[in-house]
Amino acid sequence: MTELGLRVAITLTQISVIVGIVIITVLLLTLAERKVLGWMQDRMGPMEVGPYGSLQPFADAIKLFFKEDIVPAGANKFLFTAAPLLALIPAFIGFAVIPWGPDLTWEFGGLSIKPFVISDINIGILYILAFASLGAYGIILGGWASNSKYSLLGGLRSAAQIISYELNVGLSIVGVLILSGSLSLVHITNAQAGGFWNWNAFTFPAPQIFALVVYVISTVAETNRVPFDLPEAESELVAGFFTEYSGLRFAFFYLAEYANMVLVSCVASAMFLGGWNAPYPGTLLSLIGLPSLAWIENTMWFAFKTYSFLFLFFWLRATLPRLRYDQLMRFGWKVLLPIALANIVVTSIAVFIAQQLK
Amino acid sequence: MTTPSAAPTQLNLREWLKTITFYEIFVGMKATLMHLLHYKPVTLQYPHEKRTLPDNYRGMLALLRYDDGTEKCVGCDLCEAACPSRVIRVVSAEVPGEPTKRYSKEYYMDMTRCLFCGMCVDACPVDALGMTREFEWAVYDKRQLHLNKQQLLAIGDRSFPVREKRLEFQHPNTAFFNVAFKHVPPKPD
Repeated sequence: MTELGLRVAITLTQISVIVGIVIITVLLLTLAERKVLGWMQDRMGPMEVGPYGSLQPFADAIKLFFKEDIVPAGANKFLFTAAPLLALIPAFIGFAVIPWGPDLTWEFGGLSIKPFVISDINIGILYILAFASLGAYGIILGGWASNSKYSLLGGLRSAAQIISYELNVGLSIVGVLILSGSLSLVHITNAQAGGFWNWNAFTFPAPQIFALVVYVISTVAETNRVPFDLPEAESELVAGFFTEYSGLRFAFFYLAEYANMVLVSCVASAMFLGGWNAPYPGTLLSLIGLPSLAWIENTMWFAFKTYSFLFLFFWLRATLPRLRYDQLMRFGWKVLLPIALANIVVTSIAVFIAQQLK
Repeated sequence: MTTPSAAPTQLNLREWLKTITFYEIFVGMKATLMHLLHYKPVTLQYPHEKRTLPDNYRGMLALLRYDDGTEKCVGCDLCEAACPSRVIRVVSAEVPGEPTKRYSKEYYMDMTRCLFCGMCVDACPVDALGMTREFEWAVYDKRQLHLNKQQLLAIGDRSFPVREKRLEFQHPNTAFFNVAFKHVPPKPD
């Protein structure tokens, strides 16, 4: 009983730490996005709240917290309330299987715990994909339950878009799964240790660089970001599926979008760019005689890779205009899908030949 | 049929390569990255820093005074006639006890309608109207923009501290009117 209690306490601590880190990251991202967009467009971004606008996310959070919570007339109240949660929970739940540090085991009170992953389940990436698909329900139901044509159109677009691009995300990952022979993110990341030439994006028998490109483009579409932000196209649909949302529920959708961005960036860095592995063999801290602190370097590398992907999201947003709907569908089905399928075939053949030669 | 179907093969190959490598997208992304690296914002942080106004800036209207503190306005109504937006309303009256001299008993400006064309200033024969460099006149109540004579004179006092002499004292040859001729020696009988 005490062992169970300790286990629960440790897991809850891990969960709260990771959720805290994700929420802080989201707060940072809302500021960073506006700042980076501003700098790229010769503007300054937020400058008023705090020094150089650094307290803007807190001002936004407080504002959203105290705003009036409006349920439109004719809306389905239950689904209208449930939709933000349906979007938010899948976005956060995926972080349970992300390894954000080395695969250590610490002894604590007679229990062996893995400090840098909440739960190392053997179907990790499948779990993330499954819950990412569930997140689409939040968007679709939110659009439908609002009793507004803009919301409905946004939700419908989102449904079609997420179905199209979810497929490409799944297929682009298959190459990595063939290479590492596992669905567990911890195992996949461990297999990429020892220098950047072992990362799945550049690894020997079949570099997954095309799969990485397909994955990044598809995740941009899946998280409804520019240039694939058709579900929330301001110029056409006011705000898409969350047109009618205000206050805290709007904040939930906002949080879910950014948490999804963080999640797909984490998955991209874990699957393709070696996760917490440094681009050189081993770590510098263990080289200078501090192997017990090597996890700091590893988590920093993971953060660096994830934030690089997030920067890429902002960079794309600052650069590219929105695609038309038929362009979006054509690009997904006629370009990305064949590339992902061809990548699977080539990877399978290459891995097979490499095994035969061994 | 007018389109050249047999375009040079090399050009097509190059176009094709550009398409599959997202060449245009990378050009655009390089442009935005260069703007990020060479960060020169064009933003003017308005309430904290204000731009230099041009010399002929046409801002808030004001009524002016002579250096002895008397109002310049002679109540001629020409500004009211010149105004295209019917901003100005003048109630002209005789100066009590001086039948030859007139002044504006009441003077109203409805600044919600003013388009700052400056025609009233041009129309004024005695330069009694001036355009100041004030432009921050946002108010919560539109009625605060309905200004009377005292308010307009106060704006003129704070914006034009250097005042003109009365016309009749400026130069012996200055043409003037609407004065009591007290400085002219009376005709010998």
